[in-house]
Amino acid sequence: MIGTGACCERCPGATAADVSTIARRRLYKAAVFSPAASSAARGRVLHVGSAVAAHLYRAVTGQIVDVSAQVLVLGGVSGERRFVLTPDATAWRGGPLRPSALRPGDEVVLRLRPGRPGVADRVWANIGRVSGTILRREGDAVIVSAGVSAATSGERVVVIPPQASGRIQVRFPNLRPGYLIDVIGMQRGGVLEGVIPATSQPPYRGDLVPVQASASGRLPESITGAAIWHDSVDEPHGVLGVRYPALDPSIGCAEDRAAGFAPGHAPAYRDLPYLSVGSSLLVSNECTGASWTFPVTGCAPVARLFNDRCLTCGTSPRGRVAELTLASFVALGGELEVGCFNATLTIGR
Amino acid sequence: MTSSPASLLTEIGDVQVPLLAGMLLGGSMSKAVRMVRGQPIGAALGPTVLFPVRLRHSVAAGLCVVELAFGVGLIATAGPLLSGASAELVRFGTGLLFVVATCALIELRSVRPDIGCGCFGEFSSAPITGRIVARSAALALAALAIVKLPPIQVPDTAGRAALVVFLLVAELGVFAALSPELRDVLVRIGYSEPCETRVLGPELAVAAIHRSAQWRRHASLIVDRKPTDTWRELCWRYVVFPSRHGGRSADVVFAVYLPNRRPTVLAVLVDSSTGAVLPWPADVAARGFPRARGRRARPAPRRVPLGPPVRRAASPSGRLGPTSQQGSRTF
Repeated sequence: MIGTGACCERCPGATAADVSTIARRRLYKAAVFSPAASSAARGRVLHVGSAVAAHLYRAVTGQIVDVSAQVLVLGGVSGERRFVLTPDATAWRGGPLRPSALRPGDEVVLRLRPGRPGVADRVWANIGRVSGTILRREGDAVIVSAGVSAATSGERVVVIPPQASGRIQVRFPNLRPGYLIDVIGMQRGGVLEGVIPATSQPPYRGDLVPVQASASGRLPESITGAAIWHDSVDEPHGVLGVRYPALDPSIGCAEDRAAGFAPGHAPAYRDLPYLSVGSSLLVSNECTGASWTFPVTGCAPVARLFNDRCLTCGTSPRGRVAELTLASFVALGGELEVGCFNATLTIGR
Repeated sequence: MTSSPASLLTEIGDVQVPLLAGMLLGGSMSKAVRMVRGQPIGAALGPTVLFPVRLRHSVAAGLCVVELAFGVGLIATAGPLLSGASAELVRFGTGLLFVVATCALIELRSVRPDIGCGCFGEFSSAPITGRIVARSAALALAALAIVKLPPIQVPDTAGRAALVVFLLVAELGVFAALSPELRDVLVRIGYSEPCETRVLGPELAVAAIHRSAQWRRHASLIVDRKPTDTWRELCWRYVVFPSRHGGRSADVVFAVYLPNRRPTVLAVLVDSSTGAVLPWPADVAARGFPRARGRRARPAPRRVPLGPPVRRAASPSGRLGPTSQQGSRTF
């Protein structure tokens, strides 16, 4: 049975046993190549992606119970948690604002200072992101598929308010079915109120992606591209991991199979080396210098469709090479409302 | 083979015509191929994105036709048959086209640094660089420099023919150096594709394992020939078979280096619950296996490339793999 437990975490029927099998891969790889070092790897393997180093930011999510200029209280199933806000702390809720202007009931992402678990310097309220292919329009609402086909992903609803309409339509002139969209905004119930265009719309339809350049000879020593964050409704907050756009085609993405792509013929990214779920990736934020090793947790079928560049600190030399979870993105110093940073990926640590 | 400076200039001018025609026809054909395949040329990467969406298809189709017309025109007016004003008009138009293209590329590079020039369709998907702008400017210069060129004459001596061929090859080399598309073309025709990006199914790896000396040596430990897990990283595929060791559950992990014609196979026995590496049972390790019929048993490989940029070190057991510091790979 080839491929057992090797597919995406979104594969139908993925079980805890599959997850356990995938978690052992790093250990087994170490055992093959350096048996002596594998015992050390045994200790490390449990920590890859499960905790963040002291020198990195941490993300905490929850609902505001109380907030003032100095203190923010989050509620949750585990009780209330109090966080001290630094004097220079800033907040975002559709736009920049003072933390004291946040309201009880807001769902927030707190960024905690490295090494200071009770001190927050950044707060994002109700932030969300929808990235995918437009399925249809229903009045002011845009229905978006977050995968390559509606069959493999839930539909997300984006409403573009009049005050943001011009800003978004400049970057996304085609809000017709089949075209791509990527907007950041505020979650209101199950709907995202689009506020910021996360990129410029590719000129092609999502099902007619131009064939990407193939690699030749030796792969370059380093590839820097854009790392983005994804907002997955079926992914718990706080999970550390990265979705990678070039998974082994023999197992591939559930989305690829559902869309009818033969192995290796899914659109784009023919110059990234193939990896599998469970591979470790060292992701470095070129803008802040922060880096950490995350496990590959799945495929990034939408990232491959965008042939865009991140402009956070210079122009990234290539498109989206990693889709980080929200917590991973914050840990590396990414600004959620910006949507991306330039990243370098290293495999094998 | 001696040439006067004037003669040399004429030969250089003669070379520009086929070169320009080739570039124009290549660009036109690549766009036409997209149309034939049903891919919208208006959605192709390139300066068409500077136009409103509704005009992009028309602009791209018009550009395709103009390139074809100038390419054919350059060839048709190269000889004495259509020389004179018509030849000058075609060459001037070609120069103008490349001047406009150069300006468009500069503009495109500043407003949309993320997209390719689309000069040769899908081959030109890489972001615009100074090389591509320089190529377009050089082509514009070449076209404008030959506006007054007299009709091309067939070389009358072997020396002149050799000179023309030399100049053509040299200029092709210059433009090849300025063309990032060449890399993709070589890949498409199968020149070289890194093993990390090659589609290599797990069946290949399992078949290689079954043929290997490692399998013959350790097959008796494997309780089920059906792998419990298989995954791939870069050029290596890993296959895990269930095993038993000392009454405990264990796994035999094979690593197969895929690109080799005779894939290299490594194996290790691992405790399933703790992940600890277990020693091979003495009776199995010492046991000999019959050689495969008609094939000479091969000694274990001394050096195994893990991947081009990775340096390796041999483990005491003779296995090869990344050292703790060298086990990472930046790509």
